[in-house]
Amino acid sequence: MSLKLQWPRTLASRLSLIFLVGLILAQALSFGAQYYERFQSARSTMLGNMRSDVSTSIAILDRLPMQERPAWLSRLARTNYDYLLSDGESGAPLDADADEVPVAVTSITAAIGGAHPLKFTRFAGEKKHFQAHVRLSDGSPVTLDVRPAMPPLSPWLPGVLLGQLALLIACTWLAVRIAIRPLARLANAVETLDPNAHPVMLDEQGPTEVAHAARAFNAMQARIAAYLKERMQLLAAISHDLQTPITRMKLRAEFMDDSVEKDKLCNDLGEMEHLVREGVAYARSIHGSTEESRRTDLDSFLDSLVFDYQDMGKDVQLQGKSAAVIDTRPQALRRVLVNLTDNALKFSGAAQLQVDTGAGLTIKVMDRGPGIAEDQLQKVLEPFYRVENSRNRSTGGTGLGLAIAQQLAMALGGSLTLSNREGGGLCAELKLPRSWPPREIT
Amino acid sequence: MEHVDHILIVDDDREIRELVGNYLKKNGLRTTVVADGRQMRSFLEANTVDLIVLDIMMPGDDGLQLCRELRLGKHKATPVLMLTARNDETDRIIGLEMGADDYLTKPFAARELLARINAVLRRTRMLPPNLVVTESGRLLAFGRWQLDTSARHLLDQDGTLVALSGAEYRLLRVFLDHPQRVLSRDQLLNLTQGREADLFDRSIDLLVSRLRQRLLDDAREPAYIKTVRSEGYVFSLPVEILGASA
Repeated sequence: MSLKLQWPRTLASRLSLIFLVGLILAQALSFGAQYYERFQSARSTMLGNMRSDVSTSIAILDRLPMQERPAWLSRLARTNYDYLLSDGESGAPLDADADEVPVAVTSITAAIGGAHPLKFTRFAGEKKHFQAHVRLSDGSPVTLDVRPAMPPLSPWLPGVLLGQLALLIACTWLAVRIAIRPLARLANAVETLDPNAHPVMLDEQGPTEVAHAARAFNAMQARIAAYLKERMQLLAAISHDLQTPITRMKLRAEFMDDSVEKDKLCNDLGEMEHLVREGVAYARSIHGSTEESRRTDLDSFLDSLVFDYQDMGKDVQLQGKSAAVIDTRPQALRRVLVNLTDNALKFSGAAQLQVDTGAGLTIKVMDRGPGIAEDQLQKVLEPFYRVENSRNRSTGGTGLGLAIAQQLAMALGGSLTLSNREGGGLCAELKLPRSWPPREIT
Repeated sequence: MEHVDHILIVDDDREIRELVGNYLKKNGLRTTVVADGRQMRSFLEANTVDLIVLDIMMPGDDGLQLCRELRLGKHKATPVLMLTARNDETDRIIGLEMGADDYLTKPFAARELLARINAVLRRTRMLPPNLVVTESGRLLAFGRWQLDTSARHLLDQDGTLVALSGAEYRLLRVFLDHPQRVLSRDQLLNLTQGREADLFDRSIDLLVSRLRQRLLDDAREPAYIKTVRSEGYVFSLPVEILGASA
């Protein structure tokens, strides 16, 4: 199994990673360089000292009478090396070619000069050290035991390093957050962008780039709204201006003698009229209604709707009671339910309304018609979309009824979803907010 | 000689007003067509008509303005039927608030218009209402309820909207227009049949019981609509017209 390094998915983690790795590397480099420099200068100082110290010590020992030498040893001893008046331990001779020669060897060699015979032995093991064996002028041996060690680090240094790391992480987090937040806000704004609703303007403050993006987004939003409005005005104007000629034609048709042709003409005119009405209604539903929100008794509202259908001899039934009083725009809500019910009646001849207050307020309009293929459930909510096989022109729809219902459902602060029922048929579910804000921003 | 109803048609579209005029003439009504408010006023100076068909969308004075004007002048009792091009509830509501008796949306069929004209005439003749709802008084108050006659719904004491079906509204309206007066089933049926055949197969009795439920009226001990044995029903409470503040 090969371990593949995964590039993190979010921009935030990527940026953090880059910042953090970069900063830590840079920090490590500068720390390393400083440490190296310090090490170098410390060593050269130390070696210089050692050279004069060793040369002095050896000279002193050389001059001292044999019996006085032991008394001086403790005075001559240093942290890293001390003197023994013996041949020292026997060990492997230091091979200048093969072994890594400690720098101190050079200093000692330089300190002794050619004055006394000198040889080195080294000892591997737990405490790595080497010894320099010197013969004094009187032939007695002196051994220099050298234990190379770094000058100790200050105990506060790791603390400072950790503090630095923490500072790095904090700064990275802050920088990434500042960089990402406007982006997240923009994404959120784009996601909730609904050209039909009141535009939510982004704050145009902040760093230049962010302000620029916000301005661009706001401008785009305004443009979309303007296009939509223009489109809707066009649709409304065409629909509206068609009403007069259609009225004339209808009136004229009624002066014709009864014939098949007259019936057909009347049917065609009826279809045109329907399309024009729906066109106007759709344009209005997009524009947003000027209707005010009212406290409405839902049960009587649904009752009256169902009774109107029943009085026209239509098979529409209502199930359930909500006992709810909601703030809503009654005409818009009625239009949604009428469109859904008409749709159900068109495809199955009967409609069943069901009101439910369980998880939230929902009104279902159900039929036992042919239903809609799963992949088209969403598309039928688009204007002028018709399902190919079952719901085509010959059934007399304009393709706007569901689109209007959908638009108005959103305008009511609710949502409309279609689904196929178990056992066949379509279920249109209207979810309503418990309380639609009665105050409208105008 | 039998009275022939005289209908005045006001519409800026020449073809529509003439087609409508001819159709109504063909169906036994007397018609006069005019193109705008100016012509309407000068015609009504010297004549009286039985009903005015008024288009809302007209250049110059529009239908709403003319309707309001009619309601203030000497023709305030003449029924008005509005023609609106917009299939919009607000237009309808405004039209009814201005004092129109009914409305019809364009495009309409001529026979639909004829049916409406006849319905309005029948309604206003058969039993002239005791109360005249006007622009400034479109709320009818009775008992614990108020009826908004333009939006066609009930308001309870808290101002909560209680919807009425079309048939329920018309029946209640008949009762409220003739309070404390016994109405026979035949009269009720006639007066409530404003539209097409909405009352498909529904007896007045069923409608009354539905209305009682809507008004939260106890059917055994009704406070609003009382049954008068073998005669019909009576709306037993006084009705009051309120100012137009919903």
